[in-house]
Amino acid sequence: MWATNLRIIGVVLGTLALYTLIANKIPQMQSDVPRALTLGANVTPEQLVAAGDELYHGAGGCTACHGLGTRAPNLLTDEKGQGPIGARCGKREPGKNCKAYLYESLTQPRAFVVAGYEPIMPEMSRTLSPQQIWALIAFLESQGGTVDVSTSDIPAQTAAAASSSAPAAGGSHGIAGGSTDPMAIFRGAGCVVCHKIGSEGAAIGPDLTHVGARLSAALIRESILTPDAKIAKGFEKFAGIMPKTFGDQLTASQLESLVRFLAAHR
Amino acid sequence: MTDGFHLLQTAVDSLPAYRDFPVIGSRAAIWIAAEIHLMFAAFVLGVPIFAVVAEAIGIFGKDQRYDRLAKEFTRLLLIAYSATAIWGAVFVFLLSTLYPAFWAYMTAIFGVSMWVYVSIFFFESFTLYLYYYGWDRWKYGRAKKVHWGLGILLNIWGTTVMFIADSWLTYMMTPPRDITPTTAPTSIKLWHAILNHTWMPINIHRLIGNVVFGGAIVGAYASYRFLAAKTDEERAHYDWMGYVGNFIAISALIVLPFAGYWLGREIYQYDQSMGITMMGGFMSWLWVIQAFLIAVLFLTGNYYLWIGMGRIPGAERFRPYTKWLLIVLLLGAIVWGTPHTMIADSRELAAMGGSHHPFLGVLGVMSAKNTAVNLMILATFLSFLLYRRANIRTVVAWAPTGTRIQGAMFALAAAVVLFYGIRGYFVEAIVRIGYSVYQVGAVLACILFVTIIDVLMARGAQSLGAIQWGKMPARSQYALFILAVTFTWLMGLMGFARSGIRQHWHVWQVLQDTTQYAATPALGYAAIMISTCVLIFLSLVGFIFWLGGLAEKSTFVEGAPRVGH
Repeated sequence: MWATNLRIIGVVLGTLALYTLIANKIPQMQSDVPRALTLGANVTPEQLVAAGDELYHGAGGCTACHGLGTRAPNLLTDEKGQGPIGARCGKREPGKNCKAYLYESLTQPRAFVVAGYEPIMPEMSRTLSPQQIWALIAFLESQGGTVDVSTSDIPAQTAAAASSSAPAAGGSHGIAGGSTDPMAIFRGAGCVVCHKIGSEGAAIGPDLTHVGARLSAALIRESILTPDAKIAKGFEKFAGIMPKTFGDQLTASQLESLVRFLAAHR
Repeated sequence: MTDGFHLLQTAVDSLPAYRDFPVIGSRAAIWIAAEIHLMFAAFVLGVPIFAVVAEAIGIFGKDQRYDRLAKEFTRLLLIAYSATAIWGAVFVFLLSTLYPAFWAYMTAIFGVSMWVYVSIFFFESFTLYLYYYGWDRWKYGRAKKVHWGLGILLNIWGTTVMFIADSWLTYMMTPPRDITPTTAPTSIKLWHAILNHTWMPINIHRLIGNVVFGGAIVGAYASYRFLAAKTDEERAHYDWMGYVGNFIAISALIVLPFAGYWLGREIYQYDQSMGITMMGGFMSWLWVIQAFLIAVLFLTGNYYLWIGMGRIPGAERFRPYTKWLLIVLLLGAIVWGTPHTMIADSRELAAMGGSHHPFLGVLGVMSAKNTAVNLMILATFLSFLLYRRANIRTVVAWAPTGTRIQGAMFALAAAVVLFYGIRGYFVEAIVRIGYSVYQVGAVLACILFVTIIDVLMARGAQSLGAIQWGKMPARSQYALFILAVTFTWLMGLMGFARSGIRQHWHVWQVLQDTTQYAATPALGYAAIMISTCVLIFLSLVGFIFWLGGLAEKSTFVEGAPRVGH
C-alpha cells in the first residue's frame, strides 16, 4: 500500500508542479496601483509627460484597449493619415481644442465616441486623480502635438471635476473650487493631512471615521469653526494646531455639507 | 460614563486600518484561509445535492445500492463539515485582525446578514447530524421519505448560507453604482447591497461548480479506496462509486461554461473596463492556462470512460470511434488555448507583424473558441452515450430509426455550431455575442433529445453481459486523481480571476486597498499560492478521509451493480 500511496502523492505533486511551472513560464504581468502624483508649482511639461507616459503604459490600464486589436483607436500611431493622437485631437470634435477634447474623452468618454467604435471607455475620473488625468493629457498631447497643459489647469480641474464642467469653462474660487462634495472639501481644505476618514488621511488628529457616533452635528460644526473650544481626549497636546479660519474659507453650503457628511459617519 | 465612552471611542478610532502577518504577509495569509475554507465549503455544499438525488433513486427506484452510496457520500460530508467551520473561523479572525477598517466597513453594511448566516449555519449543522445519524433508524416507509425531506432541507440551508456569503463578495466586486467613496456604509440598505449586478450569476455559477467539485473529490476518494481495496466486492463498489463521481463531475462541468458566460456578460454590463481587464488586460494570459486545464479535464474524463469500456462486454464495437473523438478533443483544445488579445511590448508586436498573430489570431477569437468548446462538449457526450450503450442490444422495433435520428441530431447540432462559428467572422461583435446562444442551445437540445431517445430505446434491451465492476486497471484511478487535482486548481485559478479583477480595491471604486499588497500579483505568484492551497486542502482531505475509514467500516455493496449508471 505504501507504493500506491507514494504513486498517488507523485501524481498529485507532479500535476501541481506542471500547472505551477506553466503559469510561471508565461509572461508575468502585475496590476500595479496608480502611484499618487503630487505636482509642485514648478512642474514642467516634461515631468507631466513622463508621469503620463508611466500611467499610460502601466497602472492606467490604457494599453488593454488602445494600441491592441480593434477595441479602441491606437493613440500612439497614425490613423487614416491624421497622425497620432496629439496631432489629431484638435480636429476630432467640432468646437473643442485638443486639451478640452482629451479631457472630455477621459472624464466623460461617452459624450463623443469616434465613429466605428463602441462606447466602452470607462470614466477615468473614477480611478485616477485630477493630477493623474492631466498628466495623461500632457502625454497624449506630446504624441505628435504640442503640450499646453500647465499648473493652472490642475487646480481649475479640481473644481471642474466636482461640477462636471469642461476645463475651458472658467476658473474656480475657494476651497475645492466651491464644490459642495464633502470629500472634495475634506481633501481641498487639507483635513486629510491630520484626520483619517475610512481608509484615507493621516492619524495625527482624531480619527473621524465614526465621528458621528460620538459628536452631534452641532458639536461637529463647532469643532470646525472654533476647533479649540473642546479638545478631544488624548489630543490635548495638539491644541491650537487646527486652523481657525474655516469659517471664512468655507461657504455656508460647504460647511453644512461637511457637517452632514461627518455626522453620518457613525 | 461620558469620559469612558470617549476613551473607548478614541481607542476604536486609533485602530490601525491594517496589520501585517508575520513572514508570509497579510495578503498570503488571507488568501490561504479564504481559499481552503472555500474548497471545503464547495465540497460540503456540492455533495448533499447529489447525495439527496442518490437517496431519491434508492427510494423511488427501489435500489438499495444508491441508498448506501448516498449514505457514504454523507459520511464524507460529516467529517468535512467541521473542517469547513474551522477554516471559516480562521478566515474571519484573520480578516478582522489584519484588515480591521475594511472589516468594519463590511459589517456596517452586512452585519444583520452575518447574524442570519450563523443562525442558518447552526440549523444546517443539526440537520446534517439528524440526516446522517437517522439514516438507519428512519429507513422504511413514511419515515424514509421524512428522512429524504431532511436531505432536501439540508440543501436549502446550505444554498441559503452560500447565497448570503456570495452577497458579500459580489458587493466587493460590483457595488451598486450609486454607492461612492463618500457614501457612509451605515446609510446603505442591506437589500440594496445584496442585489448587486453579479450576485445571482455567482450564486448559479457556484451552485453548479460545487456539484462538479464535489463529484471530483468523491471520485478521488473512491479511487483511493479502490486502490486500497482488499476484496473484489470492495473493489467493485469503489469502482462504481468512482464512475458515479466522475459522471456527476463531467455532467455538471458541461453546463458550467454557460453559467460562466452569464457571469462574464454581467461583469461587462456593470463595467466595461472590469470586463476588459479580465479578458484582455493583465489577466489575458490566465485564460490560456484555463483553456489548458479544461483540455486536461475533457481529455482525462474521456480517457477514464474509454478505459472503462474495457470492463464492459460488447464495448469493443465502439472502440474504433474513440480515436476520432480524441482528434476532435485535441483540435478543440488547441483552438481554445490559442491566445488572441495579449498585452505585448513593441518588440513582440513587431515579431508578430501586428497586434495579432496572422494565423493564430484567427483561431483565438471567440467565434473559433465557442465553436471548439461546443464540439468538445458534443464529443464528450458521445463518449458517455457509447459507454451507456456498450453492453446492450436494443430490441425495440424502431431502434435503427432511433439511432439514425440520434445521429442526425448530432450532425445538426455540429452544423449549427460550425455555421454560427464561421458566420461570426463576418458580423459585428454585438451580433456575434448573440450567436453563442444559438450554439449553446443547439448542443443542449441535442443532449436532451438524444438522451430521451436513448432511454426509450434501452427499454427491454438485451444485456451482452454485466459490467465487470472492479476490473479496471490502476491507471484509470490515477486519472480520477488528476481530475480532482485539476478541478481544485481550476477553482483556485477562477477565484483569483474573480477576486483579482477588483485590482487595488477592496470594494471596486469605493474602498481602496492601501496596503503594501494592494497590487494584484502576476500569474506566476498566483499559481504558487493556488498550488499551496490545493496541497494543503488535499492533504487535509486525505487525512480526514483516512480518519473516516478508521472510524467506520466501508459500506461497500455486495454484488456488482447491473448495467448502468
